[in-house]
Amino acid sequence: MLRVEAVKKSFDGFLAVNEADLLVEKGEIIAVIGPNGAGKTTLFNLITGQLKPDTGRIIFKDEDIAGVPPYEICKKGISRSFQIVNIFNRLTVFENVQVAMLSHQKKTFNLFSPAKGQVIRETKEILDNVGLSDKASKISGSLSHGDQKVLEMAIALGNRPELLILDEPTAGLSPEETSVTIDMINRLTTDLGLTILFCEHDMELVFSIAHKIMVMQQGKSIIQAPPDQVRDNREVQEAYLGGSA
Amino acid sequence: MDIGQAFTFAALGSQFLVGLSRAMILFVVCSGMSFVLGVLRVPNIAHGSLYMIGAFSAYSIFTLFGQSSTGFWLALFLAPLVVALVSLIAERALFCHLYEREHLMLLLFTFALMLILGDLVKLIWGAEYRSIMAPPFLRGSISIFGSPFPRYNLFLLIIGPIVAIGLWLFTNKTKIGKISRAAAVDREMVGAVGINVSWVFAGAFVIGCYLAGLGGALVAPTVSVTIGMDHDIIIEAFLIVTIGGLGNMWGTLVGSLIFGLTQSFGVLFWPQFAIVFPYVAVVVILIWRPTGMLKSVW
Amino acid sequence: MFRNIFNLKSFVPIVVFFIVLLILPPIIPRFYTYIIAVMFVTSLLAMSLNMVLGHGGMFQFHHGAFYGVGAYTFALILTKTTLPMWVGFAAGPIVAALVGLLVGWFCVRLNRLYFGMLQISLGSLIWAIAFRWYSLTSGDDGIHGIPMPSILSSLNCSYYFILIVLAICLVGMYLIFKSPFGTTLQAIRDNPQRCEAVGVNVRRHQLAAIVIATFFAGVAGVLFVVLERSVFPDLLFWVLSLEIFIMCLLGGWFTFLGPMLGAAITVALRTFVGIYTEYWTLILGVILILLIFFLPEGVFGYFIEKFKERGTTDMLEEK
Repeated sequence: MLRVEAVKKSFDGFLAVNEADLLVEKGEIIAVIGPNGAGKTTLFNLITGQLKPDTGRIIFKDEDIAGVPPYEICKKGISRSFQIVNIFNRLTVFENVQVAMLSHQKKTFNLFSPAKGQVIRETKEILDNVGLSDKASKISGSLSHGDQKVLEMAIALGNRPELLILDEPTAGLSPEETSVTIDMINRLTTDLGLTILFCEHDMELVFSIAHKIMVMQQGKSIIQAPPDQVRDNREVQEAYLGGSA
Repeated sequence: MDIGQAFTFAALGSQFLVGLSRAMILFVVCSGMSFVLGVLRVPNIAHGSLYMIGAFSAYSIFTLFGQSSTGFWLALFLAPLVVALVSLIAERALFCHLYEREHLMLLLFTFALMLILGDLVKLIWGAEYRSIMAPPFLRGSISIFGSPFPRYNLFLLIIGPIVAIGLWLFTNKTKIGKISRAAAVDREMVGAVGINVSWVFAGAFVIGCYLAGLGGALVAPTVSVTIGMDHDIIIEAFLIVTIGGLGNMWGTLVGSLIFGLTQSFGVLFWPQFAIVFPYVAVVVILIWRPTGMLKSVW
Repeated sequence: MFRNIFNLKSFVPIVVFFIVLLILPPIIPRFYTYIIAVMFVTSLLAMSLNMVLGHGGMFQFHHGAFYGVGAYTFALILTKTTLPMWVGFAAGPIVAALVGLLVGWFCVRLNRLYFGMLQISLGSLIWAIAFRWYSLTSGDDGIHGIPMPSILSSLNCSYYFILIVLAICLVGMYLIFKSPFGTTLQAIRDNPQRCEAVGVNVRRHQLAAIVIATFFAGVAGVLFVVLERSVFPDLLFWVLSLEIFIMCLLGGWFTFLGPMLGAAITVALRTFVGIYTEYWTLILGVILILLIFFLPEGVFGYFIEKFKERGTTDMLEEK
């Protein structure tokens, strides 16, 4: 479904992503792991168009999307959440998701029919799905960090993506919130048939839900394989898991 | 005017010098603005008012000393200090409490300051036109390229580079200058190494305003000093700083030159629309290089 | 469709207010009628700015330029051509919107402060042209005594005309504010990067917002001419632009009606403080500083916050 081939990106001479490869098949949950500064977020930014790769190809459904602006990529079916909470602070929770939904249905240039009558059902469905419906009318900026993180994901779902990219979905969450999030990710793949690509520091989480794991180090992709193979790989152990695994 | 005569070498040359001396005044004023912008990240809208206060203070000091040459030199020396003092008071009493707030609020504060200072000037000095005479040896004209050129403008052509070099030495060779440059790039870091960022900002603000006052005092002998001169300069200063690259001193110099020269050559080519040319230049530059010609410190 | 966004509770006071405004002119002194009409025009201008500033989050630093373009277009059509009046009415806003399209097309490429700066330079360019093109605009002097048809001859007639146009514009603006486009615009204000990530072409929406806002600014410009019968370059000068900027903040720029309140307060201050002292900008400056320190959400925004705390707005529970 998504194929990243030998992508490179440098900032002022610093190679953030260097020859990274990645393959995502339909229906899979793929995790990207690696130490801080390994280039995971940069890789995601390259895939979703926030950044433009220097060289290399990013193929999504047989189409090269390298360097295509983010709003175009989103329309093609890739949607993402961000590592640092990135929501519409002054809008209500409902409106946050509604905007994504409106954009998905190409209604954002609709000038005169009230927004209140638009995409209500679809938006409610998503809020139900992630468990935010009771907070729908709250201003999103006033939510707790955990709820904002969930909303972050809900917004991404508003675009009805085929491929959902999650950048550290559980960063800063409590253990309970984390397990809720894990359930949700599992449910999304089974119920909605989503393909999920995510990166995460919580190794337990990664090894419990990912079908395949891609390991990055210093901008390079070392290996992409099922969890047990990754665990047994010597190169990975040296480079990343080190003593802790 | 006869077109053929207008484009003689002499006319071009003298217009060039006129533009150049105008650019020097603009540079002195704008470098101050650029300095504040670089360190505090706020376009100081009150900068023009401080420039006006500089000019009026220069007038008062000049009159106090019986309109003598001594008076002129004292005015040139003291008026910017008066402005610096005013800005220090405004900064310590009010502005410094806003540094943590939204950017737009800082911008608005400077606008409020402009409104207040503008009226205060009217209260203190009234609405009449004032003027200052330069010392005798700077009056009159000398002949350059066969056409008369005011001596005072030559004086400006000397002052401008001195200010530029002085500012460069200050920011690159002194400790305070280095700290303020570092604060412009990364204020957290400067705070982390134990420097009081608030006072660095105060210092930068006062120095920037001092330059506004100096510009006001320098321009006083060439124009009639009156209320409204703040409005005229502030937009020009804004645009010069922008096209140069926000906070970049050399960019400000280039911007000032472009503004001054397009204006003076505009007078030659199409007097009626002379004021249009600098704006056209700005528009062209910003479309060509949206973040200014030289690298912005932001 | 209207029932969806105009609930009865908030609708009643607005209708009452509107009726009060309708019956006022015959019973109050002429001077006050004039001042209220000035407030109407200024309100419309401030609210049009707020569409891009408060709801769109763009640093529209030179909104006055479009107001002036609307006014000048209308004035020039009335004085220099023999075209019928309504052509002028239509042309004012349309030309303003076209200029808005042109200016906006360049501006939306830039970020925040640079956006504002480019707009100031483009706006100043327009000002400089109006200021210098004597043969067309009479330059500094402006154009005065613009003839109006008999239907708008008296002050009361122009008052009613302005009120009705204002009411229509407000309904239109409110519909846009509450439309999917309005919601998207506010999302862009809060977080343009995220908006791009959910598939919104941010620049194109911003440009559309600018065109709509400048159209309404053009309407305000036409109304100004109807009221004052004159135009002058100060309409295009940046000081006016900053003043309306302040009105939005004074009233509350994240609210819909706030700028209207801000405009009314500013006009009232200028008029009534102006009677006692010529230093009214000093007072405006002091008020502005007080506002920055104590009411950063604006007057109207402050009251809305208060209401929310007490939980009396039904706005929130409806969804």
